[in-house]
Amino acid sequence: MIKLKKSLSVSVLSLAVLPLVVLLTGCSDNKEYETAICALADISGTYAKEKKSMVNIIKAGIVPTLVPGDNLVLITIDSNSFNEENIKGKLKLDYRPSEANKQKIKFAKKLDDFAENSSRAKYTDISGAMMLCSGHLKSTQAGTQLMFIFSDMKEELKPGIRRSFNNDEFENIDIAAMNVIKLNEDSSDPQVFRSRIKKWKKRVLKHSAKSWNATLDPTEIANYIDDHR
Amino acid sequence: MSSLYIWPQMPFLSITVLVIASMIFLYLARTPMHLALESLSDGIAGGLERTAEWIKAVVIKMREKNKKVLLESSIAASEEKIAQEFKRVEASYTKHLAEYPALHLKLDESITAIDADFKECGQVVPEAPGWNDAVESIASIKGTASGDRVIEKMLKELHKSAVDGEKMALSEMQKVSTKRHKILSSLAPVWKKIQKTMVEVNKRVELVLETSGKIENYMQEYDKIRTGGDDSIDMLSSKATKLFIFSIIVITVASFGAFVNFQLIALPMSELVPAGTRVLGLHVSDISALVIVTLEIVLGIFLMEALAVTNIFPQIAGLTLGKRRILLYAAILGLFFLASVEAALAVLREHIAATNAATTQALAGDVATGTDSEGSNITVIGQATLGFVLPWILAMVAVPLEMLIESSQHVLSKLLILIILMIGYLVGIIGHILSTIMKTIIHIYDAYIIIPTQIENLLKRKSST
Repeated sequence: MIKLKKSLSVSVLSLAVLPLVVLLTGCSDNKEYETAICALADISGTYAKEKKSMVNIIKAGIVPTLVPGDNLVLITIDSNSFNEENIKGKLKLDYRPSEANKQKIKFAKKLDDFAENSSRAKYTDISGAMMLCSGHLKSTQAGTQLMFIFSDMKEELKPGIRRSFNNDEFENIDIAAMNVIKLNEDSSDPQVFRSRIKKWKKRVLKHSAKSWNATLDPTEIANYIDDHR
Repeated sequence: MSSLYIWPQMPFLSITVLVIASMIFLYLARTPMHLALESLSDGIAGGLERTAEWIKAVVIKMREKNKKVLLESSIAASEEKIAQEFKRVEASYTKHLAEYPALHLKLDESITAIDADFKECGQVVPEAPGWNDAVESIASIKGTASGDRVIEKMLKELHKSAVDGEKMALSEMQKVSTKRHKILSSLAPVWKKIQKTMVEVNKRVELVLETSGKIENYMQEYDKIRTGGDDSIDMLSSKATKLFIFSIIVITVASFGAFVNFQLIALPMSELVPAGTRVLGLHVSDISALVIVTLEIVLGIFLMEALAVTNIFPQIAGLTLGKRRILLYAAILGLFFLASVEAALAVLREHIAATNAATTQALAGDVATGTDSEGSNITVIGQATLGFVLPWILAMVAVPLEMLIESSQHVLSKLLILIILMIGYLVGIIGHILSTIMKTIIHIYDAYIIIPTQIENLLKRKSST
């Protein structure tokens, strides 16, 4: 019985020491559990008038799903999108929930200001914005990397601008085209729209994108993010 | 198959020739083939049979060892229980019988008082003076009947004195009687006091006897265990299994309680311990919340140890009463501190949840309606109460935890024996099946060469006749 008691006390002590060993050996960086999101907002041509609905989707769909430690960056798609100036807002949430809430409110104000701005670009450099976004997402080293493109997905590059993706350009990135509105030519021939979307899908998957989604409903955005976490 | 045909264009003939040739070959090789098949059967089935026997022998040894361990641990537990009961008896004697001398003194005093009063009551009532005898003597004097005036006067005086004397005696007797009644009436409270004292004495003695009775029961149980009969083994085994099942149920419920407790403090802990690192995939804040919950359980273990409810650490059991008391107060203080922290965290959690909801509403563009203040107060009070009460409930886990650890040794060993026994039976069955298959193969072999065998038998019979 005494032996049993001794072994009991030894096991209880071991249980107490075990967490200490785990703490010393099992520490890992938080980044692999974090989510980095990039929202690309098209401000060119006819899509520029969608600014307000874009901002509303980001505010109501993306920002509330962010948890402490997550990243969000807003990049505009204009004539030459591969430019640091196109980054209109960055958000890295604090690990304290109260601070994170304050940051969310502050970022929402920034988004409102962006929606109020009436600037409009002549050309649509989607690829440049995607490359800028990809670079930013990779730099965060987050475990989940998501790219939301708010655009009609019709690219019109300014003469002299060349865009080609690296083979691993979108490695580990899930891409979703949001709020893709149909243009006049799309309405007259749906195949034009379908082939455009298909072409994008082929292109991003060819360059190592993890997934592609062009039919995501704005109300499903929270579920989409949770599913990819 | 067609490659085996001697004449591919005549399959039937080829098969017939092959069958006859194989039949003749197998007939000729009958004895060595039988021996080979029997050796194979003996090798496989016998090996498996021996393995099954070995497993059974191992199981018997394990059972014996398990029995021994169960008996020894039960004997030790019984001895401990009896020793504890003796300590209780000692304490009971000290507590309940310590005042016995005082009670006895009180009783003595009361009895002495009664005795004195009784003696006082027993005093003889003063009798009237002996005038009657004097009157009788005077009456017998000669001349009393002649009407002698002197005597008559004397007698009258005597009569008067006698009457007065009687009156005085009566009054004296009434006085004494009143006094006796007074004394007797004063005896009533003393009797009551004695009765009360006796009831108290009886109560204390009963308490002592009750504790002694418990020891008697334990001793009977101890004797039964020491004999180590099958009945006592079965009783101990069923007791251990019952304890194991109950403790598993209680621990499961307690685990849910710990989970609720963890959920209650995990979110607010992220406010207090914000960190960008994780341990085994868990936030440092979650680890901190887990540490608080486990600390509560650990303090609960120390609390129960200090109260001598459990006996996990022999070192604590061996501490003096004073040191145990210090440990008890430290554990209570620690638990109170953690419970208070949890209550505060629960309030903070509600605040964070409300802020989160308000932020989400604001982001969605809704006008914040605000929560009903009364409702929110009830939630806060509820969560704070839960946060304060849960640690104390979790502290009780020490008791089923000790029960689980103690009983699991026997139950797990029993389970292991059962598994090994099942493997043994399985091996035995496989051995038996293989042996039967080998015998069947030999019979099929004999059936295949039945034609040459029958011819041989026929020839043998002919040659013998």
